[in-house]
Amino acid sequence: MLFRKFTRRGKYALAPALTLPLAGCAKGSPWWIFDPKGVGAHASFIYMMIDVGVMLAIVGVTALLIVWFMWKYRKGSNRGAYDGKWAHSNTLEVAFWGIPIIAVGFLAWAVSVNGSFAVNPYNPTAVTKHLKPNGDPIDIDVIATDWQWLFIYPQYHHIAIANKLVIPAHTPVFFRLTSTAVTTDFFVPQLIGMIDVMPGMRTKDALMSDHLGSYQGIAADYCGAGMSWMLFKTHVVSKADFDRWTQMMENNPDTMSYQQFNRFAEPYINVHEKTPAWGRVEPGLFDHVMLEVMNGKKWPLPMFMTENMFHYLKIQAAEHRA
Amino acid sequence: MLVNVPGPWSPLLGRLALSEIPYTNPILAPLFIVIVLAGIALIAGVTYYGKWGYLWKEWFTTVDHKKLGIMYIILGLIMLFRGFIDGLMMRTQQALGDGPGDNGMKLMGAIHGYLAPFHFGQIYSAHGLIMILLAATPLLVGLMNIIVPLQIGARDMAYPYLNALGLWITTAAVFLIMISLFVGDFSHNGWFGYAPIFEMAYSPGVGVDYWIWTLELVALGTTLGSINFLATVVKMRAPGMTWGRLPVFTWTAVSANIIALTSFPCLQVALALVGADRYLGTHFFTAGFGGNLMLYTNLFWLWGHPEVYFVILPAFGMLSEVIPAFSEKPIFGYITMVLASFAIAGVSWIVWLHHFFTMGMGPYVSTEFSIATMLVGIPTGVKVFNWAFTLYRGRLTFSAAMLWSIGALFLLLIGGLTGMMLAIPAINYMVHNSVFVVAHFHMMLLCIVYAVFSAIIFWFPKIYGFKLNEVWGKIMFWLFSAGTFLVFFPMFMLGFMGETRRLDWPFNPQWGAWFDVQEIGIFVYVLSVLAFLWMLYVSIRDRHANRVHTADAWGTSRSLEWLTDTPVPFYNFAMVPHINALDEVAWRREHGFMDKKPDHFKAIHMPNNTPIALYIGALTFLVGFGLTWRVWWLTLASLILAVILMIYRSNKGDPGYIIPAEKMEEMDRESKARMLSDDSHQVPHGGGFSGGTVTAYAALDRDASGPLTPPSDSRHL
Repeated sequence: MLFRKFTRRGKYALAPALTLPLAGCAKGSPWWIFDPKGVGAHASFIYMMIDVGVMLAIVGVTALLIVWFMWKYRKGSNRGAYDGKWAHSNTLEVAFWGIPIIAVGFLAWAVSVNGSFAVNPYNPTAVTKHLKPNGDPIDIDVIATDWQWLFIYPQYHHIAIANKLVIPAHTPVFFRLTSTAVTTDFFVPQLIGMIDVMPGMRTKDALMSDHLGSYQGIAADYCGAGMSWMLFKTHVVSKADFDRWTQMMENNPDTMSYQQFNRFAEPYINVHEKTPAWGRVEPGLFDHVMLEVMNGKKWPLPMFMTENMFHYLKIQAAEHRA
Repeated sequence: MLVNVPGPWSPLLGRLALSEIPYTNPILAPLFIVIVLAGIALIAGVTYYGKWGYLWKEWFTTVDHKKLGIMYIILGLIMLFRGFIDGLMMRTQQALGDGPGDNGMKLMGAIHGYLAPFHFGQIYSAHGLIMILLAATPLLVGLMNIIVPLQIGARDMAYPYLNALGLWITTAAVFLIMISLFVGDFSHNGWFGYAPIFEMAYSPGVGVDYWIWTLELVALGTTLGSINFLATVVKMRAPGMTWGRLPVFTWTAVSANIIALTSFPCLQVALALVGADRYLGTHFFTAGFGGNLMLYTNLFWLWGHPEVYFVILPAFGMLSEVIPAFSEKPIFGYITMVLASFAIAGVSWIVWLHHFFTMGMGPYVSTEFSIATMLVGIPTGVKVFNWAFTLYRGRLTFSAAMLWSIGALFLLLIGGLTGMMLAIPAINYMVHNSVFVVAHFHMMLLCIVYAVFSAIIFWFPKIYGFKLNEVWGKIMFWLFSAGTFLVFFPMFMLGFMGETRRLDWPFNPQWGAWFDVQEIGIFVYVLSVLAFLWMLYVSIRDRHANRVHTADAWGTSRSLEWLTDTPVPFYNFAMVPHINALDEVAWRREHGFMDKKPDHFKAIHMPNNTPIALYIGALTFLVGFGLTWRVWWLTLASLILAVILMIYRSNKGDPGYIIPAEKMEEMDRESKARMLSDDSHQVPHGGGFSGGTVTAYAALDRDASGPLTPPSDSRHL
């Protein structure tokens, strides 16, 4: 509460945020990594617990040994016998190499290999094992601009929404991701791990969630001045709600051609958390953007853009009034 | 062919303009005035006391490895302070800026906190670059510079002039990054840079150019240094110093410098290609026109990961010297310790992909690099066990140096635990760009800082002849450790709360309390900085009381550097000793040979001082500055002059000078007398120009014994 009293935001109490990590299982927990709501994030969490358990056994024992030796062999206290020559023991040295080798061997198989396939962004078995023969997975194209997210739903008449992601529960969702200008990371801490989005390239990822709710999405890698504001809420809604939402979106008269996208992709810091939506974007926009970038299309940044944010916001208000 | 830059450019000044100087910035403008005033005071003081000649002869032109090492360490400490101030500003920004909405402070054009993204980005980029390459690296290189030749019984490094060149080029890099504060701006893109955001279209200012040339210069300086270390250890060991008797610190210096020599060129090439993109309009790392932005990330981390072991291995070596000395026991498992160092060095080459697991390579590639990364844990684990069992059956003295070393062990344990988490892709995806990673690598880098403070306290009396104040050393240790806990425990927690790196505006109000705890931690760090300065002041004030009158300052030291006089004379050893055992000093102490004096002396050969390294260093700064601002005439002129100086020096060579045997005997007597006296003038005169009574002759044969006949081009100094 050091600075809070100088600002207008005195409402956040110290106590709840300082609760132990174990409290992470509670609803609406701030411990996003300990409170996974997507199958991929959950798999990662389980692997983390296994890894920490094994490592803590070794690290913890070593730390206790060091503390014990410090206590026992302290000069002057005469608790332990001094042997100023003792510097080698075959048994101990075999153990010193053996213990980490066994631990690494176990973790390599149990966590590294298995985990890499379970949450492999291109084909995460944690998600794909939930694919039903007649269940409809949905595809979403993600385009990151400087500094907004555009989510396109090709199966739903190419409806699109910026800075907000809506997905149905209990349904695998497959993402194709690219970027216009620079590299960043697509990340929803409670649902899906980080995956790079890169200009002129396509990456993939997938998620599935069984928990209705709203989760914070983040641009996790540094991508320029607007990164902190490049946020999107991810809403996991019921299938019926999702269908209602897509219906509503399809009735939206706004459309987006590549030319309009070109304007949309200009540097823009989403300070006011706007989530514009379009009833239809140009089909194939994702591939079009990627090809343009591969052919050298850029959306350059002005110099000193954010040296003064108030100045920037004035420019933004003037330029984007239309 | 040259890229057109946005904004004005003139042939005379390049992109320089008055508007590039941030004289309206309420932080930088007063800082600039303070620095100018301090500079004037310093220059006036040196002039008043008539010390310019002393500084020039004894420091600026020196090729003495100990003095160069001291200057490296001073440079490293100054930059450690600068990097710390950056850290303080970042923590303050996040503590102030957390939470929704405009906080109404309207400071310095920021809508959250007091730093707009433009400033915040520069600060964390400078913080990272400075801490790794301009603080940790100079501190470690400086300590290696001082200790490695002493540990192997050499008179100097293999290439004393090259050593000076390395220092002055690194200093040029320091000047370049410091001047970016007051002229223009620095890069925003993190210390390692991202493709393609560092391309001209997305970083139109000079910041990235400052970043490129600072990195290039420090890479050049470090590469030169690594050649020197390897040549020194391979060729200049004293008789009897077999590989099996090499102290562990020297072994880690060898493994670290093999890494540096083989990996730094990778960085230099990667940055040269970034330079080509920005200056010549090529498309190595652009998104379009066939460029490949992933290539940059690969090339950078192909250097970047070996680099982190380049900095941690010497730190491991320091722990391996300090812990046995204060346990009164040899290091446990010497051979496995050495093998482990080389295992770490070897594996460091095959792990770089773990810096970008999230780039989306397939599970087969990920797994391979994940397991390779976990392999690092094996030799590191062995090392920790060995240190633990060095304590076992020992007689432990918890001096300040020992506290810092044991503190480093605990940081290493935490860093190792979290490192094994990050090595696994499934876990890595969840925390890759979060502050959890930041906390992890700060554990590892602080392990280095702890080892460095330990080493400074440990070896200080060897160089200066008096010990640092133990009480204030311990007070600083506890303050620093409290600061570390208060800053980095919350950072781990914030990682689990999903906070990502480099947020100018941490948007989640639930993080706020942790930021406040971190801010308290930063103030505890400030206190530890003050404790450090006070420790220096108290130690220098009480230097007579803390005088060391024996070669072995701690009474329980083990390796060869403790055999020669304290403080170490400029020739290191009056007679090069014969090495009989691993831990030579411990062996001699046990057998009663510590006070054994040489029965005769030989003439020795020493290198001459030279100002050329300083000139070339200054010129490389001008090259970097000229390139940054695209002042082509300045760049070309400085480059040509530097090359001319190099050719001149290469043709001229340095014949060095000979100190005759009788003179050696006399100087040895003086040095021993100085060790026993309470003379406070600690730093012995050294180098080629001092001590006007030394008769110096150009050498034809450095191993010549008996009377030397002066060759025709001999000089009398």
